[in-house]
Amino acid sequence: MIGGRPALLLLPICVLAALPARGEEPAEPVVEGEVWEDDAIWEDDEAGPWDPWEGMNRGIFAFNEAADRWAVEPLAIGWDTVVPEIAQIGVDNFFENVAMPRRIANDLLQGKPVKAGSDLGRFLMNTIFGIGGLFDPSTRNGFFPPSDEDFGQTLGVWGVPAGPYLVIPVLGPSSPRDALGLAVESFLMTPEYYFLPSYVSYISTGTRLLNDRALALETLRAERAAAFDFYAAARSAYVQYRENQVRDRAQTPEEDDEALYYLDEDDDADL
Amino acid sequence: MRLSTTSTKMTTRICSGLALLLTAGAALSAVAEAVPAKTVIEQTVAQVLGVLQDGERSSAQKRLALEEIAHGRFDFRTMSQLVLGRNWKRLEPTERDEFVDQFTTYLANDYGSRLDRYEQEKVAVVGEESKPRGDVVVKTRIVGGANDGVVVDYRMRPQKDEEWKIIDVVIEGISLVANFRDQFKEVIARGGPQALIEKLQEKNAEAAEA
Repeated sequence: MIGGRPALLLLPICVLAALPARGEEPAEPVVEGEVWEDDAIWEDDEAGPWDPWEGMNRGIFAFNEAADRWAVEPLAIGWDTVVPEIAQIGVDNFFENVAMPRRIANDLLQGKPVKAGSDLGRFLMNTIFGIGGLFDPSTRNGFFPPSDEDFGQTLGVWGVPAGPYLVIPVLGPSSPRDALGLAVESFLMTPEYYFLPSYVSYISTGTRLLNDRALALETLRAERAAAFDFYAAARSAYVQYRENQVRDRAQTPEEDDEALYYLDEDDDADL
Repeated sequence: MRLSTTSTKMTTRICSGLALLLTAGAALSAVAEAVPAKTVIEQTVAQVLGVLQDGERSSAQKRLALEEIAHGRFDFRTMSQLVLGRNWKRLEPTERDEFVDQFTTYLANDYGSRLDRYEQEKVAVVGEESKPRGDVVVKTRIVGGANDGVVVDYRMRPQKDEEWKIIDVVIEGISLVANFRDQFKEVIARGGPQALIEKLQEKNAEAAEA
């Protein structure tokens, strides 16, 4: 459901996209007005997301934004007009349910048998009593929240570092680790596509993307309007979100916590 | 296509989350001293939900009421300082004050504009966690609605009078402070602090017109 073949078609692009862009400047236009004279003292000296491919990433991000604006968003608006929200939620439930076996596999690969058991119960209940997963009776019946494990997270749990931030054409924010996770999920964890005709995977992937995008219409609009640098906002959110998922929402490492919440002692005098 | 799903979903969650949550971060304007951090959040949540669910009030009235609550509960100056990180000490005192003002207005406008999307969600306070240097993280979870199960943490810091104030809102691991810090760093690196303040003023002026 991850869109076996369609997703695979994009992989060569991901690999190309992963080549480092040396010495490239950010593609962002220079802020109008006077340029700050002494750049050196404003250089950021704090740890933020690791983004050595920023120039290339910003280019791809701009491309994705344009593709969204001119193609994906208009389609999603059409979908949103025709399909009532309750049906969109049903579609979302359905795809979440189809993904469950893959989630369970990842639960097990990460050594979480209890979670795997709960997800299996959820999958059976939603498939049988939720009409093939269109409804989500498990949540109402006190099941644990569904797992969101994917192979990118599994790699993270195994100790594979995420690597630098990476924007993939069409697919958006990622990292080399998550791109590899996506490849493994597409090849090995979506066996249904080996025996279903290929148009099924195209239709299901298309529907899923469109439905997801339709559910996010208002939010993305608000987020774009609110951002100062939408690229940086998306990057920061993606990196933090994925780290949190890999840690299973446990505490942030202490150094990161210190760096975020405490400045040098001499700053306290200013408060 | 999972990643894009992950990211659109993530964005939906963060954003609608932020809307509800930041506003939900507010509280009683007159909290007695030494009320535990967790209690502060519990009271705040009750108050904010009370305003949101009040059918009598218009959205403009709701917004005003929530802003007032937020001013009593957030430490906007510390948030501003953390958001600028090391760049804070490089600002002139007047620039600092201007930044705090503009950033506070910006947050109020941004989250105020999302209030209409409130859909009867509730908030459960699920626990708290002490940090080594005296901060406390109060953990909450959204119950019901499209964001059911989303985890929201409030980072609280004791003030001089021992009252707890919110210095960050962390939704599904995404810190508001870190997110703005990463954005502002880019703006400051390119145009200095003045460029950032101007950009904030611009956004605030746009919001005032709308």
